[in-house]
Amino acid sequence: MSSAKPPPPPPPYTGPGSPRDVPPLPGASPIDPATLPRPIRDELTAPDPVAIDTAAEELKDGQNHCPKCGSTEIRQKTGTDLLVCVYCRHQWHATRVEEKFGLGTGLDQLEGTIIASGAQDIAADSESLMSYECTGCGAEVTVNTQTTMTARCHWCRHVFGVNEQVRNGAVPDAVLPFRITKDDAVARIRQFVDKRRMFALKAFKEEFTPENVVGVYLPYMIVDGKASAEVIGQGEIETRRYTRGSGNNKKTYYDADVYQVERRLDFTVDDLPLESSSERGNLDTGRNTNNIINTILPFDTKNAVKWNASYLVGFNSEKRDLDVAHLHPRLEDQLLSIARAKVEPSVDRYDRGVRWEQEGLDVHGTRWVSMYLPVWLYSYQEPGGKGSLLHYIAVNGRTGETMGSVPVQQWKLLLAALTVGTIVEAIALWIVVAVS
Amino acid sequence: MSDDGGIVFLLAAGPASAVGLYWLLYRHYRNTDKSHAFERETLVDTKPVTGADHKVDEIKGTRKTRIDDDNKTAHRTRVHRTREDTRRPP
Repeated sequence: MSSAKPPPPPPPYTGPGSPRDVPPLPGASPIDPATLPRPIRDELTAPDPVAIDTAAEELKDGQNHCPKCGSTEIRQKTGTDLLVCVYCRHQWHATRVEEKFGLGTGLDQLEGTIIASGAQDIAADSESLMSYECTGCGAEVTVNTQTTMTARCHWCRHVFGVNEQVRNGAVPDAVLPFRITKDDAVARIRQFVDKRRMFALKAFKEEFTPENVVGVYLPYMIVDGKASAEVIGQGEIETRRYTRGSGNNKKTYYDADVYQVERRLDFTVDDLPLESSSERGNLDTGRNTNNIINTILPFDTKNAVKWNASYLVGFNSEKRDLDVAHLHPRLEDQLLSIARAKVEPSVDRYDRGVRWEQEGLDVHGTRWVSMYLPVWLYSYQEPGGKGSLLHYIAVNGRTGETMGSVPVQQWKLLLAALTVGTIVEAIALWIVVAVS
Repeated sequence: MSDDGGIVFLLAAGPASAVGLYWLLYRHYRNTDKSHAFERETLVDTKPVTGADHKVDEIKGTRKTRIDDDNKTAHRTRVHRTREDTRRPP
């Protein structure tokens, strides 16, 4: 992990937004499903695809030539982090970056901005199309790094992988290999959709073919940081509650003490993932469904291995197009959110709530590592021309966490809502008439 | 049900349940409210929280059940920044 020269001045930040709501706790629902009609209740309460617990102990644990026979026919062994030589069947494990570069240590001593070599700024004149001379026969091989990182020489059949860290953002520091197999991903997507069929768009159900899921390595920056935060606001504690008036004019009143509240917090974060593709980092749910891919974070990035293009054989990839400077505002935003969440238990005594009015952040040090993370992605383009959404169902290629956006049949949904509303209103009218 | 407020509340139950069910099902299918819960899913090591609490006022006889603009749990709602980070990359 080397300290690098500072990046050039960033362009004006037009950064992507992110959903403002704090996501609900898993399983939380604002309406008790037991009060809903049985078919709807069955859909809502059906089990989600099971995700592997990343806290499991076994999870707390490249050259494209086979080290034994020299063959370039190297692939990832399905379902493992091992590389296997297709020619001589020799298997080996690539070096984990966590230990190799000491990424899990020294968070308390972080100072300044440390940027790994694969996370350096993208050169302005860099291109996605890269040509190489085949080391096997000398022929020219072109690789479009926008979508893939490996190619086969048409003449001598050597498999060619982009391993050198050219400054176009295509080659990261590390890669986290797929562990969830395609069959497993298909089953999870099917299970996810099966509990969302009743009000799904008819065309979506007819064209649903989860076997078309694609394995994609998406680019992320994995950030370690050391920061201090300060928040200032007002909190209220209820001192008395009483009623005035009588009969129909009975009203409840409250007395409260008002406090000026200040909190300070020093903290470190380990392996915070940020999308380093401007397209994927745009989480505007009115325009796209990228929040689905964002939701399946985090990954067990501690198990990431040193970059080796052989892991990408048979998979697609997307190229990084954002630098550290572009992502810093989003990092600050997330660090402030983390600080606000961490100080929340310290203001529990303010039972009438707290209104934070000011907040400050001091980032003492950060460490940035560029990484490809594995995602199984099923996509469906909703019909309807301009403005229609591309819906994703995504499976975390390591933990199996599954999330998706299923397009709805609006008239069906409206009909169900109006029917339930009409029944409830009829009951309400009956009660009003009965008691008046 | 002689209370006018109670009658209004009952009559509003129909439209409210229709809107509520639509909203619930829409979010169940589209998951527009979901995102990475980095606040609780990131490994964070914190030093003890420090700070101060000073009583500045008393409120008597308010009918509001909560403080105005309560954002205790709205961690992602940004408020006025007291200082910009000076260590941001140039």
